Amino acid sequence: MGEKSVSMAVDLGGVRMQNPVNTASGTFGFGSVFEDFFDVARLGAITLKGCSAEPWAGNPAPRMCEVPSGMMNTVGLANPGVRGMVEQYGEYLAGLEGRGCRVIVQAAGHSVEEYVAAVELIEEHCPWASGVEMNISCPNIARGGALVGGTPESASEVVRAVRPRVRRPLLVKMAPVRVPEIARACEAEGADALSLINTINGMSIDVRTRRSRLSKPTGGVSGPAIHAIAVRMVWEAAQAVKIPINGMGGVTSWQDAAEMILAGATSVTVGTASFYDPTCAADVVDGLAAWAAEQGVTDINELIGAFEC
Amino acid sequence: MSAGLSVHDFAVVSNEPAADGLMRIVMAAPELAAALRPGQFVNVRVPGDASQILRVPLSFSHADAAAGTVEIVYAVVGDATRRLSEMAPGATSTAVGPCGNPWSEVVGARRACVVAGGVGITPVVACARMLAGSGVAFDAVVGAQTAGRLWGADVLEGLGAGTVAVTTDDGTAGRRGFTTDALADLLAQGPYDVVYTCGPEVMMAGVARICREAGVPCRVSMERMMSCGFGACATCNVAMVDGTYKSCCKDGPVFDAEEVAW
Repeated sequence: MGEKSVSMAVDLGGVRMQNPVNTASGTFGFGSVFEDFFDVARLGAITLKGCSAEPWAGNPAPRMCEVPSGMMNTVGLANPGVRGMVEQYGEYLAGLEGRGCRVIVQAAGHSVEEYVAAVELIEEHCPWASGVEMNISCPNIARGGALVGGTPESASEVVRAVRPRVRRPLLVKMAPVRVPEIARACEAEGADALSLINTINGMSIDVRTRRSRLSKPTGGVSGPAIHAIAVRMVWEAAQAVKIPINGMGGVTSWQDAAEMILAGATSVTVGTASFYDPTCAADVVDGLAAWAAEQGVTDINELIGAFEC
Repeated sequence: MSAGLSVHDFAVVSNEPAADGLMRIVMAAPELAAALRPGQFVNVRVPGDASQILRVPLSFSHADAAAGTVEIVYAVVGDATRRLSEMAPGATSTAVGPCGNPWSEVVGARRACVVAGGVGITPVVACARMLAGSGVAFDAVVGAQTAGRLWGADVLEGLGAGTVAVTTDDGTAGRRGFTTDALADLLAQGPYDVVYTCGPEVMMAGVARICREAGVPCRVSMERMMSCGFGACATCNVAMVDGTYKSCCKDGPVFDAEEVAW
């Protein structure tokens, strides 16, 4: 097949990955739980579950329900806090970096101050991390729950506050709204790469009880149901900015991943699929290499944005 | 972490009605059968509908390492379990497992009681096998809505249960009423060192209350909507009395009843 001859390494805004495959925050735990299924070091990178400065308990049950071709969640960013994460998983994650897989730590917050506190702790306690991803799709408590990154102005504000405090590559995980404008705003404030898309807000109602099927009225839809929307948004973002895109949304196979790359993603992230197909990310690594060889390129980078209309 | 957690291939050996609304599937999966401990569960991929992406988490009643088979008695409650009920002998798919923690044996326990409500009978039968294997004497309470939906009382007798008290909501079999009433009567006749239970949450809360009042340790097997079954998705949270959440799949599904915020 000649797969060996294709160079698979990519540079995601300074995060130098051995291949383009990453895992989505909140779908891969802190990595170690997947070692039972495959050698996690085969992946280009993993992105950790979002951590805030202090632990968050998250939302009550039920936190998930099924929808056609997908699922919805309202986990509420339950996490052990940066220090708790480092205590439990720091040694494993430092080792994973040593094994060749890049570790991206995700910062969560409900306000500019909370993001700053989280990234300062990450800078202090996670020397092994290759990058920091800031999730700006969280609700801003002080602004009535509007998304922290829901407008170009609010995205600019939080990226501007955080950027000088992060010495490593800074990725911004965008909400799936106003993509070109917010992408440009994040780039202008110094983001090194953009991750998109996050889940799309949805609702599911039990018509007998008239209640939400989640413990909150709304939740994030993920899975194959949102893939076509995600490819379109990745393409829009790639048109709008020069910084690299970390593309995700309903990627369940190498074909889905290849679509993301053609639409302009430098790296591709497997999310919800890992829940029901735990080896999916590893299988995507293999499938992409075979696809690149079949496409006749010697470097996967030649296929980034190679979509032809 | 569970020993041998992996994606296992399985083939259906048999898949027959066990009672009204309950099916009993036996699947050949030698490595899984050898790895499973009573109280753990598996997350089963049910083929036939690509739009239903998630697996179905199911407790098992018997993991037979010698035969290389896993027996699961399951309720047909939705599209996925309906499709599972249509899998014919020879059909193949995969199961993630072993998921979760096994029933914890109580050191020095000599007398136990197992209490099952509805399809909660499945991990309770697995528990009874564990007790029988350890030489712990046990009684059992088995409850269902109605006689037609009962399964497992004879299995528990076959495993050596002392008393098997049957209750139905409508009185069509055994005593009319709830498992909690039958448990209270059994407890009045003599103490247990531990009670194991699985069933509707309201029932388990009642069992937990009775055990607390009697000073008997109680272990419960909880159920939650979940995505992965191995600690990645953080969706199957169970509220604890200390105000924290624990994960049903990774910290449970077996909990000390005293920990759970009923």
